[in-house]
Amino acid sequence: MGLVKGNVPDDGLGRDPAVCPLQPKLLADLASDDPGPRRAAARALAAYPEAATALCNRLEIEPAPSVRAMILTTLIKIQNPAIAARLAALLRSDDVPLRTAVIEALQEMPDSAALHLRTLLNDPDSDVRIFAVNILGALRHADVPGWLAELIREEPHINVCAAAVDALAEIGDSEALADLDTLRARFASETFMSFAIDTATRRIRGQ
Amino acid sequence: MTLFLKPRTIATAARILVIDDGITMRLFYRTVLEAAGFVVEEATNGLEGYEKVLARPFDLLIVDINMPKMDGLSMLRAIRRDGATMGVPAVTISTESKDSDTLKAYQAGANYYLVKPVTPETLVEVAHLMAGVPA
Repeated sequence: MGLVKGNVPDDGLGRDPAVCPLQPKLLADLASDDPGPRRAAARALAAYPEAATALCNRLEIEPAPSVRAMILTTLIKIQNPAIAARLAALLRSDDVPLRTAVIEALQEMPDSAALHLRTLLNDPDSDVRIFAVNILGALRHADVPGWLAELIREEPHINVCAAAVDALAEIGDSEALADLDTLRARFASETFMSFAIDTATRRIRGQ
Repeated sequence: MTLFLKPRTIATAARILVIDDGITMRLFYRTVLEAAGFVVEEATNGLEGYEKVLARPFDLLIVDINMPKMDGLSMLRAIRRDGATMGVPAVTISTESKDSDTLKAYQAGANYYLVKPVTPETLVEVAHLMAGVPA
């Protein structure tokens, strides 16, 4: 049998990180004035989980969309709870493209993101809670419909509840119907909420 | 619940593109606006919305801000940079209600900003106003 090269990660220069430790040049390239080397470094650093902090630090100030995308791709490959925590903090960013990219990245690391969702769902900022619902709805975990139903029992903000109802319309089951009816009564004067609950109920019933 | 407001016939119906990643929100806007006589198309994110705007003219865009693939503000900036599409009116509708959010939307090229949840009455009134169609 011939030798087959497996999916051994390398640092972009063909070196196995198991025998070749993180090179300072990669970290220097990550701070280059030129986005080309920054993008290449972000890609190569996928082989070095110990570079996660440097990548998260760079993401917070990185202006180039293509480099941001590569950093997030690398962080998704490395993914761990500490990375998810750093990304979760960026949900409060005023930078809309960064925030939406972070939501998509967190959806790609369900095990790590799930550890932070309860905190995010209790965030004082309703927008952060909505982003958390968006992440939760995409996790495709068996317990998610139950978590969403639990959320709409207590959540006071209509837009957070609306995001949860939207998710339940896609992934909810019959166990959510009673909670949806209770929610309808709680926001009886809101036309959109009634519409959203009707839509979710019809979908759950397969109508 | 009254969703069917002012049913009317428009000789040349104004065409509205609704861009929102929420399936229920798109359905709500479509139901309300079609009942008011508008022709409605949908896009599920900013990238798809941008491609639809490049492909054919619309009288009004209704744009969510937080969307996957391309957010609403990035989409509006791209549309405003293109001479062929820069004039299309756009209403952003978002959950975010801080003054800084409103300012960012206007800076990106929005002509009007609404905060969710929007009532059918407000949606139709603003659509008539922004699409240049008398109510």
